[in-house]
Amino acid sequence: MKNTPEILMVDDNPADIDLTSEVLAQSEGHFHVNAVNDGVEAISFLRRQGKYAKAPVPDLVVLDLNLPRKDGCEVLSNIKADPSLAKIPVVIFTTSQASSDISRSYKLGANCYLKKPGNLPEFVAVVQSMAEFWLGFASLPQREKR
Amino acid sequence: MTFSSDPRGSSLAADDTVEWDAPVMRAETGPCESESHRECDHQGNLGSRLKLRALVVEDEPADVELALRALRLADLKVTADVAQTAAEFSEMIRKNSYDVVLADYKLPGWNGMESVEILRREELDVPVILVSGALGELTAVECIKQGAADYILKDNLARLPESVRRAMREKKLREEHKQSREELARSNRDLEQFAYVASHDLQEPLRMVATYTQLLAERYRGKLDSDADKYIHYAVDGALRMQKLVQDLLAFSRVGRHSLALEHIDGNVALQEALKNLEAAIQESGAIVEQAQLPVLVADCSQLAQVFQNLIGNAIKFRGSEPPLIRVSAELMGKEWILSVADNGIGIAPEHADSVFVVFRRLHTRAEYPGNGIGLSICKKIIEQHGGRIWVESEVGHGSTFRFALPSKQTSKQ
Repeated sequence: MKNTPEILMVDDNPADIDLTSEVLAQSEGHFHVNAVNDGVEAISFLRRQGKYAKAPVPDLVVLDLNLPRKDGCEVLSNIKADPSLAKIPVVIFTTSQASSDISRSYKLGANCYLKKPGNLPEFVAVVQSMAEFWLGFASLPQREKR
Repeated sequence: MTFSSDPRGSSLAADDTVEWDAPVMRAETGPCESESHRECDHQGNLGSRLKLRALVVEDEPADVELALRALRLADLKVTADVAQTAAEFSEMIRKNSYDVVLADYKLPGWNGMESVEILRREELDVPVILVSGALGELTAVECIKQGAADYILKDNLARLPESVRRAMREKKLREEHKQSREELARSNRDLEQFAYVASHDLQEPLRMVATYTQLLAERYRGKLDSDADKYIHYAVDGALRMQKLVQDLLAFSRVGRHSLALEHIDGNVALQEALKNLEAAIQESGAIVEQAQLPVLVADCSQLAQVFQNLIGNAIKFRGSEPPLIRVSAELMGKEWILSVADNGIGIAPEHADSVFVVFRRLHTRAEYPGNGIGLSICKKIIEQHGGRIWVESEVGHGSTFRFALPSKQTSKQ
């Protein structure tokens, strides 16, 4: 049987984590959402350091750009520079529409850039489409054995 | 050169009580600091005991003396330097700060009017009064046109003091005007910066309010009492409307945050871009857009397209009972292109002709026509940044014609 897809959501706004988890819980697929609130935690989680020693290897990282301690772009470049993490798809999920943020993210190796919609129906549609595409239609690399 | 009859060497003092700083020191103080301004009373009038520093452009020492005496007799405290050649003149105006230049017209190798040109090149605002023998009316008028402050005959030096005083007053007014313009521009920039930051930063908390009130509405509809459903609906409605306002305010404050990409563009291209964006509205309303050939304009193409889009979009939105008929045309008037967007819509009462361009100003309820009243204010901002102006000619029930004027040559700022 196929493992439940693991999502790592990196966002300092608990309201967005709750809402995203809610939407995913209501959707057809089964996902497991792991959430951390800043960039340093995100890297610890991915490298299974400290309290994250037993953390699952995520199939998808959903990353906000504006984060405390270590911002999203730094987290992104850390992921893409680490051979054991580089193949995990990273979806940038942020309020920024600045074209500089968009092109910088893709240059750093982001796999997708989504703007957080300002109202519920669109938010639901975006999160559901994202999960459906990345964890449904897209073929993903095998999880790294560690 | 310096005038040799002055016992103190470098400058001629018409009043021995005057103590001038060394020239180098004075050069460091800007023109705004000149003594004459400190002599002004708080109404901005120049006191009768006006101190000033003059640069006399004259090859005849006796004439210098006569001019200064005339000023001294009228209670003006003058110190003066003398320049004979254009090179000396240039050097002195760079080194020192003068309140006025008294220039003879006919000089060996040059004429006094060239001093006006030199000052202009150096971007120095120092009034030049020609003090000369008879020039003839035509030459005199031409000198004034070219920028001389006044023209005084050497045998009528009694007029000189009043002429100097007037030139000082005018210069002070120019400086005050410039200063208030700069202050206004600065405060406008601050305001725009504020609007931008505020609208930008308001978006995030608003997003939370909007999505979570919507979630409440969805999840608890019919589970609380009917009042609760209604109240949640008000909250959702308010949050969504505020979101749109904040987005519009942000769009408005974005105009002109980056300098315009002014270039020679085909006006028809901008119009086509606008029509493409309006395709759905045009089809849905059955609008006919008649397009005259538009000229090449000096403009930022995407901004001009935005202006066309807002104007034509309004013509469709505020249509009458007939399908919209919209005419876009252009006409060269003097140094300006006047572009017009005319419609057969509901029109605007003349008393609202100005207020429609004010940000967030609406003439209708949201139930009648949706929108926040941002489109025309954006048009106005864009056109004014192009150095142009925009206005409307209309009558209720007889359609509206929006016109905007753009300079036909590249003269606008930025």
